[in-house]
Amino acid sequence: MIAVALPSPGVLLAGAVTAAAVSLWLLLPRGRDSRPARWLGGLLGAAALAGFVLTGRRLGGLGEEAVFLIVSLVAVISGAATIVSRSPVYSAIWFALALAGVSGVLLVLGAQFLGVATIVVYAGAILVMFLFVLMLAQPAGLAPYDRVSNEPLLSAIAGATLLGLLTLSIGRLSADPSCCQMPSKAAAMAAGTAGTSVDAAHAGDAIDAAIATDPLAADQVARLGGELFGRHLLAVEAAGVLLLVALVGSIAVVSRHGDPSGELAPARRAAS
Amino acid sequence: MSPATLLVLVPLLPLVGAILTVALGRRLGSRGHLPAIAGIAAAAVVAVSLLLGLGREVGIGDAAHAPTARPVEMITTLWEWAGVDAAYSPPAGSPAAADTARADGATDLRSFSIPVALRLDPLTSTLLTIITCVGLLVAIYSIGYMHDDPGYPRFFALLAMFVFSMSMLVAASNFLLVYVFWEAVGACSYLLIGFWFTKPEAARAAKKAFLVNRVGDFGLAVATFLLWMTYGTLNFHDTLSADGTILPGILGQSRIADAAGYVGGAVGTAICLLLLLAACGKSAQLPLHVWLPDAMEGPTPASALIHAATMVTAGIYLVARCAPLFVVCPDALTMVSIVGTTTALVAALIGTVQNDLKRVLAYSTISQLGYMFASLGTGTMLGFTAAIFHLVTHAFFKALLFLGAGSVMHSMGGVIDMRRFGGLRRLMPITAATFLIGSLALAGVAPFAGFFSKDEILAALHSKGWPDAHGEHHDTAPASGHAAVRLPAADSGPNTAPASTMHFVSMKTAAAADAPVLDRPRTWQTLFWMSLITAGLTAFYTFRAVFMTFTGPLRVPDEAGHHAHESPPVMTIPLVILAVASAVSGWWLFATHSLSTFLAATPSLTAPAVTATATPPAFHFDLALQGTLAAALGIAIAAVGHLGRRSDGPQIERFLGPIGTLFANRFFIDQLYKALIVKPLEGVALVAAAFDRYVIDGLVDGVARIPLALGAWARHLQSGLVQRYALVGVLGTLLIMLALAARLR
Amino acid sequence: MNQLALLQNALVVGAILFSLGLVGILTRRNLIVMFLSAELMLQGISVSLVAWSRYHGDFGGQVLVIFVLTVAACEAAVALVFVLQAFARTGRLDSAAWQSLRESNLPRRVDHELPAIDTVPPSFPRLTPAGVLPAADENDLLQREHV
Repeated sequence: MIAVALPSPGVLLAGAVTAAAVSLWLLLPRGRDSRPARWLGGLLGAAALAGFVLTGRRLGGLGEEAVFLIVSLVAVISGAATIVSRSPVYSAIWFALALAGVSGVLLVLGAQFLGVATIVVYAGAILVMFLFVLMLAQPAGLAPYDRVSNEPLLSAIAGATLLGLLTLSIGRLSADPSCCQMPSKAAAMAAGTAGTSVDAAHAGDAIDAAIATDPLAADQVARLGGELFGRHLLAVEAAGVLLLVALVGSIAVVSRHGDPSGELAPARRAAS
Repeated sequence: MSPATLLVLVPLLPLVGAILTVALGRRLGSRGHLPAIAGIAAAAVVAVSLLLGLGREVGIGDAAHAPTARPVEMITTLWEWAGVDAAYSPPAGSPAAADTARADGATDLRSFSIPVALRLDPLTSTLLTIITCVGLLVAIYSIGYMHDDPGYPRFFALLAMFVFSMSMLVAASNFLLVYVFWEAVGACSYLLIGFWFTKPEAARAAKKAFLVNRVGDFGLAVATFLLWMTYGTLNFHDTLSADGTILPGILGQSRIADAAGYVGGAVGTAICLLLLLAACGKSAQLPLHVWLPDAMEGPTPASALIHAATMVTAGIYLVARCAPLFVVCPDALTMVSIVGTTTALVAALIGTVQNDLKRVLAYSTISQLGYMFASLGTGTMLGFTAAIFHLVTHAFFKALLFLGAGSVMHSMGGVIDMRRFGGLRRLMPITAATFLIGSLALAGVAPFAGFFSKDEILAALHSKGWPDAHGEHHDTAPASGHAAVRLPAADSGPNTAPASTMHFVSMKTAAAADAPVLDRPRTWQTLFWMSLITAGLTAFYTFRAVFMTFTGPLRVPDEAGHHAHESPPVMTIPLVILAVASAVSGWWLFATHSLSTFLAATPSLTAPAVTATATPPAFHFDLALQGTLAAALGIAIAAVGHLGRRSDGPQIERFLGPIGTLFANRFFIDQLYKALIVKPLEGVALVAAAFDRYVIDGLVDGVARIPLALGAWARHLQSGLVQRYALVGVLGTLLIMLALAARLR
Repeated sequence: MNQLALLQNALVVGAILFSLGLVGILTRRNLIVMFLSAELMLQGISVSLVAWSRYHGDFGGQVLVIFVLTVAACEAAVALVFVLQAFARTGRLDSAAWQSLRESNLPRRVDHELPAIDTVPPSFPRLTPAGVLPAADENDLLQREHV
């Protein structure tokens, strides 16, 4: 850990949020591409990330902390790159990397099935679909609308403000954990013998202990499957119907040939 | 049928006729006159029968009974228009408070009630007969005059409506009802003057008549308020209250009999002068006479009925009806005479130089109405009856003259300028003969109607101007009777009041202490001479018109076309009937004294102050001689100027020089009003219009511009770009989140 | 390991991903990139859900993420079809091409002339010429150039 004197958390967070907003604004396509601005944006983005890391340095073991830090940095940096890339193809590829980071985070969090499924479903299926569409639709060269943004400054400020608000409220969890104390199975399991209300400060440790001592902790996927097809069977069926409807709907829409109104035909001719 | 039912029928039948005409007018087509004429004719029959019945009641024509001087009246209350019990307490000391005074000195609360009550008494009955009979003749005449007019049914509907309103006006027994129908006849007059509303002059004349009448109506309204404040009721008649006591009406018999029943002084004079203002408006007296000459733009039958025979006499009726109010205010009475005499002289002077036949007659009407006012202003029994007498005869001969002028106008293709035709007696002998009879009656030549009535008016004025000489003139009348003429002035008897009514007492004693300012023999002498001059002028302008129109070489304007012949019988028969009435009514009514005796039974004229001045009927040879001489002089001058000459020959204005210009321009009164009243009002209206347009409208428009400006700003949000919409949505969400975060801290 | 700290850190990661996605969807005008941004937001949500699931030891959050995955797949299928249709009409993948819902008297938004990009022409690795140069397909080159 870096053991330097840090500013107070509030100032740190405010600085990080401001840096994030400015860096996003600098990085987003604004028509004029100047290399120094992008460098400065990258630097500020790194500073913002550092600020967030410093704000959130509360993990226990060094090993797990490092893994989490790396995968989350991959996810966040790739996500930022997704939205600031000029070329949509690059965006898609950056998004694939962001998915990899996210799946890493999910794995660290103990959701093995989801980590894999994200990679398989998103990167394997959805992203490929995107790339197909891009190849079908993208005209030659960098389109003008990829080089400009819609209200970049205001949007960056809005996003950063939202991020600041969310981080603040997340920070309140440690200040007053009782605010989010929900009756959970693990907590109930841990406190079941005592029969008293769970002490807030030790709730997390209790859960940790419960999971660690749980013999079924190894077969997470099996338990998720049991949960999914047990309690949520109906919802699974509904999701299946939804998939079918989406399939039929998209085929129905795409198979309608021609331009029914005819009004945009000249525009298309002019563009192509 | 009972008299009450008959009395209701008189106004009701013309009303039904009017409504039927309105409802069926288009379907009836050229027979559009039928409902109206049937209604008016039936009303005339009913009115005559009522008159005869009432005459028998009074004792006229009944050899067995001498006519009684007791008041005769009959009241029919149809329904209560408004009634509030214990509505107000009368002001202390007023007659109203005295009426309801209890033994312990307190006064009861009085109830406010407006009954729709009709009355029948000699005055009302006389006027009802005149209105319906002349109305019937005019309506029959109109069948010929108005034929082929696009507004044929409308004309008859208005005529019947007018007969209804006028009947109600003279039959109403309540000041508020009088006010209502005072306005109703004004509205009918407005509609008939503007009958040909597409003609700009007619529309303007209608507007002018309506607006000038408003001034008079204002007087009537304020007078009504003052009467209510003073007497605590608006009824003419006495009413029985719930506990059986009599509540005296303003003109009820109990108040009239009570010597102290009326308030004189400032309040009484104010009431009387306001009533006089109202009468001046309706009867076209100075200074409100300007509307009547312009009203000749209406159809001639309407002019004959409304602006000569009936409606304009409403002012005479009002003053005669309110005689008890006037006789306690001698100055107000004298003012009535002064206004009347001045109007008579001024109108006669203007009439001498008019070249428009109908305008000559219009100024003649104003002049004759002035005579009636002069007569009313004497405040004697003779004066009141002479005024009504002249009203009756004037209704006949002036209607005759107007209808004759209408006949001329009809055959001349609408031309009414006397300089453009002449010698018409050869073309239209009946019209010429009847017109001549009417002119003789108007000029006051014996033995036609006007001679007798004008003689009575002159006698009434003379008796005020030379009371002593007049007393010698009648050896039958005791001298003390003439002393009583000045009774309200000399003697405070009728004004004596109990000392407890402090407020009103002060006014009364003040009035009694002050000698009348105007009521002096010198004043009346002047008025008499002015009247005599007017008589001569009347004869002059009447015969000037006759000579210009009917004598001299035959000349017909081009507009006449195939119309230039005698009018159809439907028009000439009414002329003949009216000519007969003009010829004999004066002599008959005078010789039998039936009208004066009959009118003396009117409750209003049984006031002690009036009955004290009653003189036995007499024929005043000296006055008749003076009047006849004046008339003969006028006729002679007219004959010298116009008889046998071309009507476009030498004109009187040229002879008179600058004075003629003054007359021809109607003493510049219209110009004076225009400069003093119309122009400043127009200036105010311009300022008000500018204020409305720029300030009021500016404010309203300014308020309307706020949402417009907001919208113009807000519409930029509606850019059609979905991402901008999403951004606005996110910003809004952030605002809510920030607000929540601020609260949660 | 401190469970609360893990939860908080994971939530912050989710929040960052969500905010980035939001900024992307608000600013980028390419329909496909907007779509990617939406998916990024979904990823942020998924991370948060799994973090809470871990904290509570409850599989509900993970089950929900599975459904999110399903819905995302459906959404991608349908929306990409719409994107294709939109492209078929305008010849562009520009969200600002669709602004006919604006107020009638507002001018249409027109992009200003953009400065040219000083991009270096892409240099592809070349083999040492050791024989006849293979004939390159024109279309193939064209396709590669703008990737």
